Amino acid sequence: MSSDSIALNPALESTRPIGDRLHDWVTTVDHKKLGILYILYALVFLVIGGIEATIMRIQLIVPHNHFVSPQVFNEMFTMHGTTMIFFVAMPIMFGFANYLLPLMIGARDMAFPRLNAWSFWLAAFGGLLLYFSFIGGNGLYGAGGAPDVGWFAYAPLTARVFSIGHSTDFWTLGLLVSGIGSIGTAANIAATVLCLRCPGMTLGKMPLLAWMNLVMAALVLLAISPLTAAQIMLSLDRYLGAHFFDTQAGGSAVIWMHFFWIFGHPEVYVLVIPAFAFASEIIPVFSRKPIFGYPVMVAATVAIGFVSFTVWAHHMFTVGMSSYANSFFTISTMIVGVPTGIKIFNWIGTMWGGKIEFKTPMLFCIGFLFQFLIAGLTGIMLAVAPFDWQLGNSYFVVAHFHYVIVGAILFALFAAFYYWFPKMSGRMYNERLGKWHFWLFLIGFHLTFDFMHIPGLLGMPRRIYTYEPGRGWDIWNLIITVGVFFQAAGILLFVCNLLWSRIKGPVCTSDPWDAWTLEWSTSSPPPEYNFAAIPVVRSRRPLWDIKHPEDPDWKYE
Amino acid sequence: MEPMDPQLKTPAAPPGTVQLPAPTTWPIVLAFGVTLLSAGLVTSASVSILGAILTLTGCVGWFRDVLPHEKHVTVRVAAEVPVVATSRREIARLPIAPELPRALLPLETYPISAGIKGGLAGSGAMAILACLYGILKQGSIWYPINLLAATVYGQSLKFGAASLNAFHLSSFSLAVLIHLTTSLLVGLLYGAMLPMFPRRPILLGGVIAPIFWTGLIHSVLGLINPLLDERIDWRWFIASQFAFGIVAGLVVVRQARVRIRQFVPFVMRAGIETPGMMAEKPGKDRPR
Repeated sequence: MSSDSIALNPALESTRPIGDRLHDWVTTVDHKKLGILYILYALVFLVIGGIEATIMRIQLIVPHNHFVSPQVFNEMFTMHGTTMIFFVAMPIMFGFANYLLPLMIGARDMAFPRLNAWSFWLAAFGGLLLYFSFIGGNGLYGAGGAPDVGWFAYAPLTARVFSIGHSTDFWTLGLLVSGIGSIGTAANIAATVLCLRCPGMTLGKMPLLAWMNLVMAALVLLAISPLTAAQIMLSLDRYLGAHFFDTQAGGSAVIWMHFFWIFGHPEVYVLVIPAFAFASEIIPVFSRKPIFGYPVMVAATVAIGFVSFTVWAHHMFTVGMSSYANSFFTISTMIVGVPTGIKIFNWIGTMWGGKIEFKTPMLFCIGFLFQFLIAGLTGIMLAVAPFDWQLGNSYFVVAHFHYVIVGAILFALFAAFYYWFPKMSGRMYNERLGKWHFWLFLIGFHLTFDFMHIPGLLGMPRRIYTYEPGRGWDIWNLIITVGVFFQAAGILLFVCNLLWSRIKGPVCTSDPWDAWTLEWSTSSPPPEYNFAAIPVVRSRRPLWDIKHPEDPDWKYE
Repeated sequence: MEPMDPQLKTPAAPPGTVQLPAPTTWPIVLAFGVTLLSAGLVTSASVSILGAILTLTGCVGWFRDVLPHEKHVTVRVAAEVPVVATSRREIARLPIAPELPRALLPLETYPISAGIKGGLAGSGAMAILACLYGILKQGSIWYPINLLAATVYGQSLKFGAASLNAFHLSSFSLAVLIHLTTSLLVGLLYGAMLPMFPRRPILLGGVIAPIFWTGLIHSVLGLINPLLDERIDWRWFIASQFAFGIVAGLVVVRQARVRIRQFVPFVMRAGIETPGMMAEKPGKDRPR
């Protein structure tokens, strides 16, 4: 028998040398540790991406400002977008999926623990490779630095003649490497959900978080491939003189757009579907009601997954497509609003008549709910091709997608952090600091992104380095930048709260929220084997069945 | 032969212990190798060579980890398991169906045929008003029909006034198809939704919904199809919407309601044969 026998004693863990403990983290294949590594790594990049955003906003706070040079400004918006999407949002979602899925479906680990570790390290090294461009991007030509071609890197700007040096290559290779990791993680999530559910947990009895992560994994598997293909083609263009995107030699710049956005739009759903999952787990617990319309929620998620692959060219209305293409992508984009609207209706239906507890996770979920609604409405506006012709590439678009990414996804993420922090750490966070975080961030968010729509409507283009005074943009840019400092203060409180609570917070029980899913049946933090015995479930709320044997759910499912 | 762990495909753990995959260095080595292999393209060939060596080493190490059997560690299980309990013993219930401890709402609904009947009746009422508008205001019964076809058949709008008043077989066929399909779908929607709004269903279906729908179309049609927008008479438009809503609503609410089957799995509600779930019919099913 090829096994090493060890006996771990948690009490002795803190007395072990730091080198040993570090070695444990580096060599771990435990889904919980890898989940935490994903989350910590993403949080570090969140701070970096936040600093880049702050630099941009300081640059734009007044007209004719020269806080940074135009070159640095270009690098900042490129690195900010790339970092936030590829090295913050995706890894953090993967981190939560890694940590929670086996616990919620009653498994001991992910389906492929070693692949899981490999995927994480690829994602981590991909991020480091991208940021190495700040010092290594000069290459042979002494030009460049960090990538400066925008996060969607349109051709022909990425051609060697316009992007000399290696900055664009670092962008391509960094995403390529981390993309392989993303595909590994997605395959792992799908295999875990499909194959490792505990006895009794049929697909119809899975927690919604598992369903939604399954859809997310499918989207990753389908969406990352076109991006990877396009990056390989771009590398061939740049290194071997291929002409895929070289319009001077029979190539097509528009093909790059299609490749990028057939990845890029499903990517939005890769990020927002796990946010839906958090809301779908948290809102019922703090409303003290089961989720309203479970089967419809599942169907709506699957529908969103399908429809998300038919909408990509709404990012390209301003390119000049045929009227048939414009009509198709307008209609398909509007259709996404139907399953999404169903979800919003169901979350409100869950809260309706419930005994709502306004704890920090619930506050963030309520913020998510209403901000996502507004984000969806501006999305429907931009889905109308003639409207998009007026406002495409303006700050209105920037405001819209930040409403999705920050107003919806980040708010749901904060909710998830507060909700599962006791499970991950075994300690409670400080509720008062959590509420301060919520209100500061809410005020900052609305100052920044509500008012960002206005300069967009007034014609301010995105990625603009500076602007002339007197165009009506000045006051709005000032307010937008002031909002950033409120958000930064909120994030600072959040980090302090979690750090302080991790060390000094009161020890919590295994089930501090009186919740209903399996992760709350094991100790906080869970042991490395998750469950002493693999649980058997009979309904979607197994802990409700145990807590209320006189009125179990399984009689009605 | 030793008993096997079904999840890990390894010999089963002794009592009181659990077997887990062993920690390993090879994933990080392999990931670092792949990264260096790529980084060499933008730095130096020596970096790629180092990456290739690490990649090869990582692969060999990984294979040795899992072949012929996966390495694993045996972990002792804690004796104490958390107790699952709640302090909230009381369960509040909405006083909707006292005879049922739990209920799916609405308790009763209309059959699908009610929605179809309502949709067809509403479509008739709407068509009468629309044709009346064509005769009284435009001097031709074909005008509103051509206009409806123009929602998807843009060429209709370029006909000019005289042509819009004339009969065109293609436009007529298209308009009939659009009208019937939309009416049936909206009728089905009414059939499904009206039981959810038991108070004043006609007010909702016949007045409020048409006002919202007309408001939405009025506000966006100028953006989507300005040519069509110019030719719509909004007073007649909303009148025809009211006619559809009221007639369809009246027809639907006059149909007999049926009680929904509470907590029956979907496969059974859909009438799909589900061995083990549906009761066998005596004398019809063969004994197995």
